[in-house]
Amino acid sequence: MAREKIHVGLEIGTTKVCAVVAECRRDGEVRLLGVGESPSRGVRKGEIVDFQNASNCVHDALSDAEERSDHEIKSVWLAVTGSHIESSNHRRSVTIEGGGEITEKEIEDIASKDKEVSLPKDNDILHSILQQYYVDGREGVIDPIGIGGSKLEADYHIIHGVVNRIQSTIRCVRKIGIDVEDVVVNSVASAHTILDDQKKASGVVVIDIGGGVTDYIVYENGAVRQSGVIAIGGDHITNDLCIGLRIPITRAEKLKIEEGSAFLENLSGTEKITLKNDTGFSGKEIDRSMLNLIIHSRLHELFGILRNRIQEVVPIHLLGSGIILTGGCSLIKGVREVAESVFEVPVHFAHAQSITGPTSAFDNPQLSTCIGLVKYAHAVDADAPQESFLNRFISSITRKLHLI
Amino acid sequence: MITYPRYLARQSEPQSLLIGLGNAGINIMDRLISQAGFPMESLAINTDQQSISNTLASKKISMGQMTTHGLGTGGDPEIGLDAAKESAGEIQRAIAGANIIFICAGLGGGTGSGAAPLLAEMAKQNGSLVIAVVTSPFSFEGRRRSQQAAASLRDITRFADAILHFENDRMSELIEPHAEVRETFAICDNLLFRSISSLNRIVTSTGPIPVSLPDMLTVLRHSDDSCLFGCGEANGENRGHHALESALRSPLLDRGRLLHDAGRLLVHISGPPSLSMEEVSEIMREISNNLSPSAMLNLGVSATHDHSSPLTVAIIGRCGTAKRTSVPPKVTPDLALLSQSQQTVPPASKPEQTEAPFFEIPVAHTAHPPEKAPAPKVQQPLLPLDPVTRGRFDKIEPTIVEGQDLDVPTFLRMKLKK
Repeated sequence: MAREKIHVGLEIGTTKVCAVVAECRRDGEVRLLGVGESPSRGVRKGEIVDFQNASNCVHDALSDAEERSDHEIKSVWLAVTGSHIESSNHRRSVTIEGGGEITEKEIEDIASKDKEVSLPKDNDILHSILQQYYVDGREGVIDPIGIGGSKLEADYHIIHGVVNRIQSTIRCVRKIGIDVEDVVVNSVASAHTILDDQKKASGVVVIDIGGGVTDYIVYENGAVRQSGVIAIGGDHITNDLCIGLRIPITRAEKLKIEEGSAFLENLSGTEKITLKNDTGFSGKEIDRSMLNLIIHSRLHELFGILRNRIQEVVPIHLLGSGIILTGGCSLIKGVREVAESVFEVPVHFAHAQSITGPTSAFDNPQLSTCIGLVKYAHAVDADAPQESFLNRFISSITRKLHLI
Repeated sequence: MITYPRYLARQSEPQSLLIGLGNAGINIMDRLISQAGFPMESLAINTDQQSISNTLASKKISMGQMTTHGLGTGGDPEIGLDAAKESAGEIQRAIAGANIIFICAGLGGGTGSGAAPLLAEMAKQNGSLVIAVVTSPFSFEGRRRSQQAAASLRDITRFADAILHFENDRMSELIEPHAEVRETFAICDNLLFRSISSLNRIVTSTGPIPVSLPDMLTVLRHSDDSCLFGCGEANGENRGHHALESALRSPLLDRGRLLHDAGRLLVHISGPPSLSMEEVSEIMREISNNLSPSAMLNLGVSATHDHSSPLTVAIIGRCGTAKRTSVPPKVTPDLALLSQSQQTVPPASKPEQTEAPFFEIPVAHTAHPPEKAPAPKVQQPLLPLDPVTRGRFDKIEPTIVEGQDLDVPTFLRMKLKK
């Protein structure tokens, strides 16, 4: 079977490294070929702290993916996250020369003004996302080419991060001989999986609660309004349980996955959970009310911080599509109810859309970032100028002529 | 309860003098001087002729020419003290006229440990406000050096009005483990630099809410706790928040966690004329979120005339007295000694100074003055081992949002369970 353009998305997460191989067809469909996973070591809060270990895990995940997809991976699209990633909104403007009609030149000029954004010294721009154009102060222009005016302005959402910290993630992949096509911020990638244009237009927040960090991105009127990273994730819940219930960290993790719940209602107060004994652990009985309280307070606080940050930019109740939760932590029971009580808007879970393939993996919220990477790559391909058949023919002839 | 010299209140223009003592002290001082526009007289004092010839200080004293022949003390505090005694007259002339004296010294070696107490005493007799900024050595430098440092620090406490004490061990938290040695010391020096310049700013600045000198002195009075210090500055959007965040990131605040233990806290905010009340109240709100309810909080606000100057937040404090019951009783004997020494008692206190570091056996130490008992050889045990638990996030960069360390379990911070 002949395959079309294949993209690989790689996420080095705090709990696991995950690689998705997918075929991107010209008709816009993305077909999943294989998913490779490996438990992650040496990553804390989304960033690499133990280079060698992390690199081994990346290697494991990629070879797993190669095996499953029967495709030799040469390069990947890499998701990055970490508390150093920040964002801001900027407006920039150009004066329209000539006959007062906006041409592609002005659009290019305004897009190339990234350098003028003032950033902290160590930071560099990861994404520069167009929000909207203004022509002579008139709002909401979507495609200004051909419109007449004297001044073109544009709002951009800039996502930036500390260069060195991003590079260490890239180096971790390059070290095992795999090329990195580009880096994409987690939240941007997740949004590609989860959101369609209709949701973006009506306004939505995507909250991706991962193992080490929580990424979020806010869309309003079809454009990114805000995005960011909070270095709180599932690890924190595990750690809270470990400290609060005085159990080993591995048991805490297991308890969180098997019994974890954030419901505070309908608790009798006497219900116990029995932990079986194990080597080096003599077994223990735990109050369910305590377990739920610890998880609830952590999630409640996290959503509270997010609410405050989002409220700075947009009133949450105006976001028509509400909140969408994804990431491994969204699997905890009751997380949606906690989120609804904090945000006071409908909260949904994400389901990866319009991707077809042999596995059911894409329904798994833990993969939304990786699939998003592939979709992002696909979207970049689609934007890139397509060489027509004639051009390719001509250029191949000229090459041959040069050889003679 | 703490008095301060009257003339300070009378004179409009305080004359600050910065003294760098010993190699470490001179390094710190040079760093301060090389920052343009640092408004202070400077004086370098060392026993090592070579190091003194390279310093940027405006006045230099090579002390103890007869004692050391300009070759340094070889790490012996007694030689350092002898050298200082020999050049006492010269030093006295140099410090005359200054009414705020900052003494920078690295304790543990010969010159710093030996001469700093005498220098503090002379400065006190001169009638100045004495602020000592000292570092204690890394623990890997050996036990003898930390004993010398501890002994010297105790002596300085008697004369200095305020002590900023930095433990090098803690400062190394600032630095990545693979940082070069030169870089490590540069970062330590830089922290000291920022502390001195912000102290000087606090003392000299006038503003809408000035910090009174007694307030500052009370906060800085006790030297056997390492002081809590953090300073941060920021420009641009959301500057208040960013400045506070970088102040809290200071290792001397244990990344904001020690705020909770602070018994007294002095917060000084200075900024350009555009500094708004809202920014001030936001910063204070974030700080008080972290404070224990019983903590005393002093606020100072000043605005410069320079529009381009950044917003600066300086936090100075000391740990709560509730936890360290040994501290308050010491205040009175210290004060008593202090007032005595203003007349003439050096002989009474000196034998102690010279002998203490020399007895290497700790038994001899404890047998000496009874008040030494609660201060063992290093001050280290006082700071860490807080009830704050971060579990597996202990060693990595903390997540500080809105002034709270989010790595500490939420239910603990909210006191849902103890």
